[in-house]
Amino acid sequence: MDRNNGKIGLWSYRAGTIPAILLVTILFILPMALVFGSAIREGTLINSLEDASTYRILLFTVEEAFVSALVSTVAAIPFAAFFSRYRFPGRKAILALSGLSFTMPAILVVLGFVIWYGNNGYLNTLLEGIIGCKPLRILYSFPAIILAHAYLNFPIAFLIITSAWSGRPETEELAAYTLGKGRLWTFLHVTLPAIRGSAASSFALIFLYCFSSFAIVLVLGGQPRYYTLEAEIYRRVYIDADIPSAAAISIIALAATAIMLLIMPEGRREKRTSRKKRELKEAHGGSLIAAFFLVILILLFLLPPMVAIVYRSFHEKGGAFTTEHWVKGLNAGYGAMLSSFIIAFLSSYLSTSAASAIALYSAHSRSRLLPFFTTLPLAAGSVTIGLGLLIASSYIGSLIPLSADWIRYILLLAAHVMITLPFSVRTITPRAQAIPEVLRDSAYTLGMSSIRTIMKVEKPLLRSGRMKAFCFSFALSLGEVNATMMISLGRLTTLPALIYDLIGRYDYQSASALGTILLLEALIVFIIAEIGDKDGIS
Amino acid sequence: MAFLEISDLKKKYRDFSLSISLEVEEGELVSLIGPSGSGKSTLLSMIAGILSPDSGRILLSGEDITNKRIQDRGIGMVFQDIALFPSMNVMKNIQAGMKEKDRKKRDDLADKLLELIGLSGYGQRSVSSLSGGEAQRVALARSIAAEPRILLLDEPLSSLDAPLRKHLRAAIRSIHDSLGITMLYVTHDREEAFAVSDRIAIMHDGNVEAYGTAEELYRKPSSMFTAFFTGEGTAIPLSMVSEGEEGTLFFRPENAMIIEGGQIMPQHILLEDAEIISAEFTGDGYTLGLSWNGYQILARSIAKPRKREVSIAIPKEKAEIFQS
Repeated sequence: MDRNNGKIGLWSYRAGTIPAILLVTILFILPMALVFGSAIREGTLINSLEDASTYRILLFTVEEAFVSALVSTVAAIPFAAFFSRYRFPGRKAILALSGLSFTMPAILVVLGFVIWYGNNGYLNTLLEGIIGCKPLRILYSFPAIILAHAYLNFPIAFLIITSAWSGRPETEELAAYTLGKGRLWTFLHVTLPAIRGSAASSFALIFLYCFSSFAIVLVLGGQPRYYTLEAEIYRRVYIDADIPSAAAISIIALAATAIMLLIMPEGRREKRTSRKKRELKEAHGGSLIAAFFLVILILLFLLPPMVAIVYRSFHEKGGAFTTEHWVKGLNAGYGAMLSSFIIAFLSSYLSTSAASAIALYSAHSRSRLLPFFTTLPLAAGSVTIGLGLLIASSYIGSLIPLSADWIRYILLLAAHVMITLPFSVRTITPRAQAIPEVLRDSAYTLGMSSIRTIMKVEKPLLRSGRMKAFCFSFALSLGEVNATMMISLGRLTTLPALIYDLIGRYDYQSASALGTILLLEALIVFIIAEIGDKDGIS
Repeated sequence: MAFLEISDLKKKYRDFSLSISLEVEEGELVSLIGPSGSGKSTLLSMIAGILSPDSGRILLSGEDITNKRIQDRGIGMVFQDIALFPSMNVMKNIQAGMKEKDRKKRDDLADKLLELIGLSGYGQRSVSSLSGGEAQRVALARSIAAEPRILLLDEPLSSLDAPLRKHLRAAIRSIHDSLGITMLYVTHDREEAFAVSDRIAIMHDGNVEAYGTAEELYRKPSSMFTAFFTGEGTAIPLSMVSEGEEGTLFFRPENAMIIEGGQIMPQHILLEDAEIISAEFTGDGYTLGLSWNGYQILARSIAKPRKREVSIAIPKEKAEIFQS
C-alpha cells in the first residue's frame, strides 16, 4: 500500500538536507574535482601509474594494513571468547577501557610509544635495571607500526567480536555436545562460523583505518620505505613541493579505497536461528585465575604508554619532578588548544546537524543515496580532503578578502566537518530508521505540520544519537592531525599538530603535558558519550 | 529397574532448590509440566549434563551418567530456540551427529528422516530459509539421527503459533510411536502434555507434585495444585456442605449438574439457591459461572437454564476432598 500520509511532509525533510548537500558539494566534491584536475592537467596521474615506486608504496600500504588487521583481529578472538563466557570482577572496566580506543587520537599512541617503547624509553630503562642492558629496539621499524596499529585497534576488534559473541546463546554449542561432538569440532563448525561475520567486519574496519594511517607511520616507521599512500601525499606536498604529483597519489588512494569498500563485507549479518542472549557464567577456580591473567595482560598492553605520557609530563628525563614543562607547554599551546576546541566544537555541531537532517530524510524516504553521498569523504581519507582544500585555498584567496591565516582556519574547519560528517551520519541514521512510522502518522492525524512533527516528535528521539555523534565527532576533530597538517602549512597549529611538532623536536616533556590534556579530553568525551547513550559501544 | 531412573537429585540456588526422584520406562513419552520456575528446564539440563547436580544419581539403562560429559551420555536434545547450525544446510545439520560413516548410508538415512518429518527434498536448503515449524522439525530429525538412548525436548513448540503447535505435537507423537524412542518432554502447556504423553509429571517448586497418566491426574488429582493445574474446577470449604468438617471440596465443572430445586438426590452434594452470573456457549453446551453463598462456582450444562436461581448437584464419588 502506498503511504500517502508519509509523502505529505517529504518536502520539509528534503529541504532540511539542502545545507548538508551544499556542504558536501562545496567542501568535498569541488575540492576533489580540483585534485583530479591538477593530476590530469599536469599528466602526473599517468606518470604515477607508470612509476614502479607508486606500486611499491601501494603494496606496502596494503601489507601493513593487512598485517595490522590480522594481528588485531586474531589476537582479539581468545580474549573475546573468554569475555563472552565468564563474568568476573573487572570485566566491565576492561570493556569500558577498550571503548576508549574509539576516541583515542593516533598522535597520543605515537607519543606514548616513543616514551614507553623508545630506545631510551621507560620500558628499556626498567629492563636495564633488571638485566643490565636496553634490549628493546622496536621503534622506527615495521613491527613498531604494527604494534601501534594493534594498540589502537585490538580493543576495537575485541569489542566488536565480544559483543557479537555474547549476543548469541550457547544453545548451538550445547546442541553439538548432545550430538556427541567434542569441543574442537564444536568450535570449528559451530562457534567459529557464528563469529566469522563479526571477525570479518572488524578486520575490514581495521584494514581501512590502517590503510590511511598517517602519523603512526610517519613517526614510528620513521623512514620513507615505511610510508603509506597518505604519508606519501604529505611528503610530496611538503618535501617535494609537488602538489600535482601528490594529487595523483590521492586519486590512486581514493580508487584503492573505493575498490576495497566494494569488495569488503560491511559486517555480514549473522545468520541466527535463535533469539536468546547467552548467560555469562560466574568465573571461579581456574577460570578466575585465567580471568585475572587476561585482565593483567590487557592492562599491561593498554595502560603503560598512556601512563607514561602523564608521568613524563611531570618528570625530567632524569626522573626529577617538575611542572616547568606544563607551564612551557601551556604557554606554547594555549592558542593551539583554543583553536582546537573551537574547530572541534563548530565542526561537530555542523556535522551533527547536517547528519540529523540527512538521517531523518533517508529514514522517511527510505533513500540510501544521500547517506552514501555524505559518507564519500570517508573513502577519500583525511589527507586527500586536506589536499583538496589546500588546492582550493589559492582560488578562495582571490575570492574572499580575508587574511591567509583566516582562510586556512576556515578550510581547517571545513576539513574537519567533512571528516566527522560520515561518522555522524552513520551514528544517527540507524536511530532515525528506528523511529516508528506510526509516530509520524499520529502526529499528522493530530493536525501537526510536518516541520512541527520533525521538531517536536522526531528530533527529540534522536537526542541520544546526536549526543553520541557530537561527542565522537568532537574527539575525532580534536585528535585530527592528517588534514590539519596538510592545510596548516606549519603556520597554524592545533593541539595534536603541536604535539606532533614537539615530538619532531624531541621535546617529549612539553608534548607529554599537552598529550595529558588531550588524553583527559578523550576520556571526558568518551564518558559523556557513554553516559548519554545507554546502548553505547561497550 | 526403570530405563531412566532419577533418584534424589538435588540442586540448590540462592532462591530456589530442586529435589527430584522420577522413573521413566523404556519407550515411554513422559511430559514434565509445571508453571515457570518450577524446575522443569533445570531438571532437563541436569539429565543432559548441561548443569551438574549437587547430589543424587541419574541412571540411564542401568548406567550411572550423573558425572559423564554431555557428549558421552547418549542423550539427544531438542531446544526451545531450535539451535540449528547456521553454517550448515539442512542435510549437514541432520548428519552432524550421525554415527554411520559411509556417505551413501548417511545420505539415505538423512533422506528417510526428512521424509519422516515431512520435509523431503529440503536437504540442500539453508537453515535460515526455513520457517519456525520446519526448523524445529529439522532439529528433531537431527537429534534422532544421532541415535540417542533418550530424547529430551525442552519446550520445543513454544516459539511456534497455535495451529502449528497442534500439528507438530501430533507429528512428535507419531515419530515416537514409529521409532519407539524414549522421550522426556518439557512443556508448560497442559493441553500439549495431555495430547502427547504416556505419563505426566507435574512439577511445583522444584518437586514432582504428581506423576501419572493424564486421565489419572485429571480425574483423581492428589493435591489442590494438581487439580487446578490439570483443568478448571471449583474449590469451597468443606464446612459449607458438611458442618464441622475441615478441608476443601473440589469438583470439575462437568460434574456440577444444574437442577431446578426441590429434588432429592441422596448420593449428591447439593448447593441450593445459587445464582447464575454468566453463561458462555462452548459449542457442546454452556459453561456457567454461579455465585453461591459468596463463592464462585463453575458448572456445565447442555442447555441454557431458564431460571437465574438454580441448585447444583455434585455426585459424591466425583468430588475430591483435600486436607490442607
